[in-house]
Amino acid sequence: MRNRLDQVLATINQVVLGKQGQVRLALACLLARGHLLIEDLPGMGKTTLSQALARVLGLSYQRIQFTSDLLPGDILGTSVFDRDSGQFIFHPGPIFAELVLADEINRATPKSQSALLEAMEEGQVTIEGATRPLPDPFFVIATQNPASQGGTFALPESQLDRFLMRLSLGYPARAAEKSLLLGEARRDLLPRMQPLLDHAELASMQAAVATVRVSDALVDYVLRLVEATRSQPQFGLGLSPRGSLALLGAARAWAFLEGRDYVIPEDVQAVLPSVAGHRLRDQADPGSHGGGALVQWLLREVPAL
Amino acid sequence: MTPTPGIPRAALSWLLVAQALVIVPHLGHLPIWIVLLWLGCALWRIQIFRMRAAYPNALVKIVLMLIAGFAVYQSRGRLIGLDAGVVLLVAAFILKLVEMRSRRDALVLIFLGFFVVVTAYLFETGPGIALFSLLPVAVLLAAMIGLQSEGQAAKPWPTLRLAGGIMLQALPLMLLLFVFFPRMGPLWSLPTPSDRGKTGLSESMSPNDIAELSRSDELVFRATFAGTPPPRAELYWRAMTLEHFDGRRWSQAATPASRVDWQKRGEPLRYSVLMQPSEQAWLFALDVAESDEAGVYRMSDYRLQRERPIDRPLLYDVISWPEAVRDSSLSPWQLRRALQLPSQGEARSRLWAQQLRKAYPEPEALVNEVLANFNREPFVYTLRPPVLGENAIDTFLFDTRRGFCAHYAGAMVFVLRAAGIPARVVAGYQGGEPGPGARTVQVRQFDAHAWVEYWHPQRGWISVDPTFQVAPERIELGLEAAVAEEQSFLEDSPFSPLRYRQYGWLNQLRLALDELDHGWQNWVLNYQATQQQGLFERLLGKDFQWRLVLALLIGGGLFLGALALLLLKPWRDGLDPAQRLHAQFERILARQGLRRLPGEGARSFADRAARELPAQAAQIRAFSGLYQAQCYAGRSVAPSVLRHSLKRLRRALPWRLPGRGGK
Repeated sequence: MRNRLDQVLATINQVVLGKQGQVRLALACLLARGHLLIEDLPGMGKTTLSQALARVLGLSYQRIQFTSDLLPGDILGTSVFDRDSGQFIFHPGPIFAELVLADEINRATPKSQSALLEAMEEGQVTIEGATRPLPDPFFVIATQNPASQGGTFALPESQLDRFLMRLSLGYPARAAEKSLLLGEARRDLLPRMQPLLDHAELASMQAAVATVRVSDALVDYVLRLVEATRSQPQFGLGLSPRGSLALLGAARAWAFLEGRDYVIPEDVQAVLPSVAGHRLRDQADPGSHGGGALVQWLLREVPAL
Repeated sequence: MTPTPGIPRAALSWLLVAQALVIVPHLGHLPIWIVLLWLGCALWRIQIFRMRAAYPNALVKIVLMLIAGFAVYQSRGRLIGLDAGVVLLVAAFILKLVEMRSRRDALVLIFLGFFVVVTAYLFETGPGIALFSLLPVAVLLAAMIGLQSEGQAAKPWPTLRLAGGIMLQALPLMLLLFVFFPRMGPLWSLPTPSDRGKTGLSESMSPNDIAELSRSDELVFRATFAGTPPPRAELYWRAMTLEHFDGRRWSQAATPASRVDWQKRGEPLRYSVLMQPSEQAWLFALDVAESDEAGVYRMSDYRLQRERPIDRPLLYDVISWPEAVRDSSLSPWQLRRALQLPSQGEARSRLWAQQLRKAYPEPEALVNEVLANFNREPFVYTLRPPVLGENAIDTFLFDTRRGFCAHYAGAMVFVLRAAGIPARVVAGYQGGEPGPGARTVQVRQFDAHAWVEYWHPQRGWISVDPTFQVAPERIELGLEAAVAEEQSFLEDSPFSPLRYRQYGWLNQLRLALDELDHGWQNWVLNYQATQQQGLFERLLGKDFQWRLVLALLIGGGLFLGALALLLLKPWRDGLDPAQRLHAQFERILARQGLRRLPGEGARSFADRAARELPAQAAQIRAFSGLYQAQCYAGRSVAPSVLRHSLKRLRRALPWRLPGRGGK
């Protein structure tokens, strides 16, 4: 199983150059059955990453471009009257895919954002009185532009909390960008990628992740981290119990990717920036979700043993 | 110029409140313009904060300073001395407000505030003021907190709570210092604040002085008896004797004689007196008093006197022998002094004295006749006597016949002397109100009294009280009863609680407050070198010096130990043997200059250590692997295995690596 995962990572890394860490985190997020938020400037490879993930894992893929005039029906689907049968026939929206890329989610109005985010949390959607289950696996990768950019509706805390991780891709390294410029267009590579995992394998991996061992000592470390966010004065908001569950789940997936069947503090530390960063707020800067400095403080000061 | 950090809004508000609270206890002795100065400066400072006004420039500052100095000089007559000094200090404390630009200035102001709080104790030492000063101290601390963390100080309650917590933390240290800090005598003597030298007996007496005293309800002293106090009518508290009469005033004899000749008789009375500062050197005691206190002497007129004036509450023990016989013989010059009279004046009194002398050759009979005369003739006891001009004694004895103790005592001594009987006026206090606890007597200024002593060739000095003949209720019940009819008791102080003694609960409250004040003086203000030594002796025995050092060392050690236990919580670790062994592992590597950072996990630390110490990498990884297996992988590894692995690592490491040892 481990080999297959390495293969998956290697394949994605061929398309998304020089972003091994982020790719690994994204895969860990998927294995932990969490949704992923990628926050970055346009043109950094967000879409490429999500498409590559979908292809390699053999998932059906849909992309929703969020704009300010997007309506919930555009996401979930609508019933259309069929003249032949004389009935309303439901036309499923783009959300009925295994991997959904919600592009520039913060450009849409809160109403449309909620439609997506509720689906993410429930795993099903209710349209016109009928509850329809979403496919399994169901994985949402949302991208958003930095909040400072014009025409954005910032996601509220309650909805940020639904994303297991928030990643930022960042500019590529010089060498990676050089080979990007010299090589083939990345988009052209995508259709040629072969699925490496099938649904059954993915499901068994996700099940295996849930059984990764978490010892008392490790839970104590997670509790120390969480308590620090709740008691230290520089934290405007502490981590919620959902946050601590997310942290533990992500750490399990990371340990699984590392090939271990138990979690060590280093796993928690590896996922902490992406799991906790968007859930924390600096006391001195309550408007932003730039938890980066706080996370660094946690990593540095909270006793790991 | 680098910008200096400004003063945040919260800190400024706290500072203004603190300044007002610091100044409030001083208001009693500050000129009124200080309040106006504070209001002006506070307003100016607020306007500066709102950027509506500018900071004063150098010229304005100098002018302000000169004006303040001049105002102090105007209101106090000088610039130095305690009283003027405090006014100057408060004025400077206020002026500093407007030139406060940076945090540093604000800190200066806060520290100055603490000092100003302390100077209030120079004027007022009651428990009320001590309790009140907690408030300005707390607010000053809050201002300090406000300077440090702005976000905190914007919320007043948490800030005040924090300030209170800081004060509570200081409490044990304060108690420790109070009990153990050596009490040193003053290194230099401060001139007393002018309004401290208040009412009280002075070295000479005219009737007006006593009338002055009768208007004051200020406490003079409290006496606590070992047994039941004698009845009120027997409580004649001697302060001094007045032997010289110049026709208007009675005053102390110029040269006190040193010879004292008396025999103890009867049962002694034991009591202690807690005396308020009087700025005079004499003490109060019943006749005939003895005291072992250091620096207290008995003078030839049987008064107790101290070397230095009493400028702070003083506690002294006295034994009195009420039935003692004093001076069964007098030297010729003592006799001369006790018979001194002005050469002229008071013709009618002198004539009456001559008649008495003829009629009553026995001194005792003559004295009794004089007393009986006061009783027989229509004399009236009043605090509002008519004004007496020339020949005051004649006018009083034969015309007006209205007066109070000083009139009666003065007139009687005059007549006795004119009749050839040695006599003198005794000034002091008479009576006193039973205090709480039945064994205490409280004497106030309105208990001031004057009575008569005459000398009998066989029985020595004998005290008689002409006032008793006129107004026995003054002696038996006190001044209030004596002047009940004319309602002149404390007529100038309508709010004195003593006027409302008929209301039971009010009286109870007053007595309880008195008791509190008494305790405060007794236990706090009066805790001086002697009391400190007494306490140590009682606690630690006679030879207490080395035991005190030992007790302080042990006490301090225990305290620090408890603090260390509380802070370090050594019982926290050691529960898990694996954790303890890992701590040992860290100590071994720390000797090589490798310290684990707090946030560093076992694996990352082992990786780093293995990189730093490639020769021992295998042992390091082996131990760390075992530790992780035990702690995280749920494989139970026996502590002995871990210990063994650690031992191998220790053997593999040199004691100190060359070149890294000193780190």
